[in-house]
Amino acid sequence: MQLTREEIVEELRSILLSADDKNADLVETCSEDSVLSTDLGLSSVAMLYMVIAIEETFDVRFDDVGMDDFKTLGDVVTFIEDHVR
Amino acid sequence: MSSKGKKAPLFAGRYFFYDFTKLTAALPGLVFFRPKVLYASEAAKKKIKGGALLIANHTAVYDPIYLQIAVWYRRHHFVCLKEFFEGKGGWFFKSFLCIPIDRENFNISSFREITEHLKSGELVSMFPEGRINDETEGVAAFKSGMVLMAMRSGVPIVPVYVRRWEGFPRRLTMAVGEAMDVAALCGGRPAMSRIDEISALLHEKENELRELAEKR
Repeated sequence: MQLTREEIVEELRSILLSADDKNADLVETCSEDSVLSTDLGLSSVAMLYMVIAIEETFDVRFDDVGMDDFKTLGDVVTFIEDHVR
Repeated sequence: MSSKGKKAPLFAGRYFFYDFTKLTAALPGLVFFRPKVLYASEAAKKKIKGGALLIANHTAVYDPIYLQIAVWYRRHHFVCLKEFFEGKGGWFFKSFLCIPIDRENFNISSFREITEHLKSGELVSMFPEGRINDETEGVAAFKSGMVLMAMRSGVPIVPVYVRRWEGFPRRLTMAVGEAMDVAALCGGRPAMSRIDEISALLHEKENELRELAEKR
């Protein structure tokens, strides 16, 4: 499975929307530069939720990774790009 | 009160230190620290079988001891701060089946370790307030990560309230609630708002247990 960065961002948007539709406007307009904690308002539990959903969607495994290791959406995209099987 | 998961083994080398310490501490523990254990209902009196997540308020450092006395028939894997594992005393926490957690930068490996224990039929105990709370403002809000842990493992959450100890020779009072089947409440992949709702519901149950324990 070879996904482009844009396709990964699109998948992440749908994960974020299913996690919390209260921030739908923010999620629709987010970009790779969006900061997860401030721009998207993700708590550490919401980050954990996102990681679980990413593992299921992209068939990747997050090992020994801290929630603070991902500052922006772009960091998550890069991780997925590097680890997708 | 049981999950559909596997049963933890009765004997295993990795449990030796835990079992030995628990056995040798049992007699003085029961003589000097035996708590009064109250139950929210008849269903709450049932023994916890299989994987389960035990949650309690945290008023003092001795809370883990009381939890182990109240649910004496199970081995507890306590979730505790990673700082306890650093330095010379770290071996004790490792041998005592504790699971390190980084409060500042939560690591997915800790989450995986907790869910693996739960899925293999073990009991994990944690304090979802995330800190020792002096209770001047009641039980602090719960962190909702516990709901994700139980949901992913398919195990129930058992709430327990530990009343602040008023000193020797008074016995400490605890209240045990009914197990809550979180996976059934969540269903599939719930939204974060649903997870927060369940966390709030557990907080409500904890306050009911608090009322029960404070009456005595």
